[in-house]
Amino acid sequence: MRSLRRYLVTVLIALFTLISFVAALQSYKQSASRAEALFDQDLQVLASSLSQQYQGGSQQELGLALQVWQKGELVYRSALAPKSSMSDSEGFSEHNFGGKRWRVFRQTPTDLLTIIVAQPLKQRQQLADEVITASIYPVVLSLPLQALLIWLVVSKALSPINRFSAQLSSKKANDLSPVVLEQVPAELDQMLKTTNQLFARLADAFDREKRFASDVAHELRTPLSVLQVNLHNASARWQQSGISDPEGSMLALQAGVERMSTLIEQIMLLNRTNPEHFQARTDQLDLAGLCRQVVADWYPQIEQKQQQIELLGVEHLTLRGDAFALRLLVSNLVGNASKYTQVGGCIQIELSVEQDKAVLVVQDNGPGIAPSEYSRVFDRFYRVGGDRHQSGTVGSGLGLAIVRDIVALHQGRISLGAADFSSGLKVTVELPL
Amino acid sequence: MLINTVLMFLRELLPLCLLLATLLVWHRSLWRHFALYFVLPSALMLCLISLQMVWISELLDGLGLEFLYSFLYLSCFALLCVAARKTSYALWGSALAAACLFSISGSNLLLYIWLPTQTENTPADLVLGSALGVGIGASIAVLWYYLLTELKLWRHQSFALLLSFTGARQVMMASALLIQSDWLVAGPQLWQTEQLLSEQSELGFFLQALMGYEATPGLSQLLLYMVCLVLLFWCCSFMEKKR
Repeated sequence: MRSLRRYLVTVLIALFTLISFVAALQSYKQSASRAEALFDQDLQVLASSLSQQYQGGSQQELGLALQVWQKGELVYRSALAPKSSMSDSEGFSEHNFGGKRWRVFRQTPTDLLTIIVAQPLKQRQQLADEVITASIYPVVLSLPLQALLIWLVVSKALSPINRFSAQLSSKKANDLSPVVLEQVPAELDQMLKTTNQLFARLADAFDREKRFASDVAHELRTPLSVLQVNLHNASARWQQSGISDPEGSMLALQAGVERMSTLIEQIMLLNRTNPEHFQARTDQLDLAGLCRQVVADWYPQIEQKQQQIELLGVEHLTLRGDAFALRLLVSNLVGNASKYTQVGGCIQIELSVEQDKAVLVVQDNGPGIAPSEYSRVFDRFYRVGGDRHQSGTVGSGLGLAIVRDIVALHQGRISLGAADFSSGLKVTVELPL
Repeated sequence: MLINTVLMFLRELLPLCLLLATLLVWHRSLWRHFALYFVLPSALMLCLISLQMVWISELLDGLGLEFLYSFLYLSCFALLCVAARKTSYALWGSALAAACLFSISGSNLLLYIWLPTQTENTPADLVLGSALGVGIGASIAVLWYYLLTELKLWRHQSFALLLSFTGARQVMMASALLIQSDWLVAGPQLWQTEQLLSEQSELGFFLQALMGYEATPGLSQLLLYMVCLVLLFWCCSFMEKKR
């Protein structure tokens, strides 16, 4: 179909015309058939009337009343006719006799002869009803057929719109590819083109945004590395030359550069794990093994802070997931726990299986987070207490945002709560198996 | 009577409307050219036949009209075969085929309208009957057009098959006229489906207009019909291969 309007107009007009005309023809045929039967019946009545006059016999079946008056005297009457005159006025009239209402016709062809014929009104109405009903039936019966055909035609006409809508509904959040439809009617074509143009612009914008953040972070990483090296060298020379730094400017500078470096790393990771951009390469992996690797990675820092770390629960936990993303998730949680827990504190990692999901719990006995802050810590660049975090630890405010994205990527859930210790934070991650 | 006028118009117009709808689906993008190729020869042939109808009907011992109509029906089929077989002849071949059928239907309708026996019909009967006949025929053609368009998109072979049936129908009509004129031996009657599906019923009427349904076909009629059906279908298949 090239145009919805043309299709609907032509097909509906054709359907209405066809059904109406066929119904009219059927009405015509039915009415003609009934009328013919009635005329035949009249012939039978006439024949019976004449035979009665000459041969006698039962007159109850006629349905007609007949009187013949000659010179004011009743010379003939049928069985249903009364002895008195059925009508005193010429032509058609209506009268009651014999317990019925009659339609009467009186004719006086000569001054001496009067003929009066009567038919029950009920019988006349019945006969008229039969003819009218026969003509109405086809029209009434065609209505459901018309309704059905209209429904089919309109459904067919709207099918391109339904296909278009279905394609849009089935699109994933990160699918900005153009919608492709076959046999697009003119009315939908412009809408399809506009939608596809919008998708193209959106894809372009997303791509630019993704590239911009990533490019900026990448471009900053190299000069920052150079800056770190130079700072390290300058600090070493200061120490060798015996230059004192009572205000700790060099240390503050080094801390600032380190924080900026961490921030850039996290921005790059956030871009990599954003569900809108990230194409997860899911595979079967052992989450328990992955946790052990992360603990090994963080162990030097944990040991430096004289913290205790425990890995509890199942020794093997296989699930489908992206190895890189899950390792980053566990690393961020363990790193946070280590960073924000005091020297000599405890960190506990527990793995378990509940029904059809894997549960990872990371908790510590650090200062924890107030429950009112739970929802905000997942926001990007948000840090409890702002830049002046009470722990004095370098951070970017992106670690938990990355964790939330990775959990969303795996269709899991993350929740925060108070640790089982006397203080501290407990992070619970549920991932489908 | 009104019903006679309606049936007369339907009998003559329905096959033409169905053929035109089928050909318009075939030449959908070139319908203006098709209309041009169709209208001019149709008008010319109709004028010629109508003006010379008395002379034609007196030819061949009074069988001139039957012979002419048979020839036109067979020409219609042959032109459809040519149109299907050769892509370059497709447009004008099919337009001329439709013109052949139009000249038969048109001359029959003109004959019916101007026939002396028409005095029995009132002008109102004639106008109403022709409106009903034209309306039903045109409506069926529109629905047939959209149905064929869908079928053609679904399977091209289904369109080719229906076109072949429409072409073979013209041969069936020609064979009936030739048998009626004793120019063709009917052969033994193969079956009798009058009780099952009467030619006078609505469906029988439609099938006769579409594919030449015959309740009591003779052997020669059926053989001719089958051969022509296969031939035209083969031509359609060849046309598709070339494209």
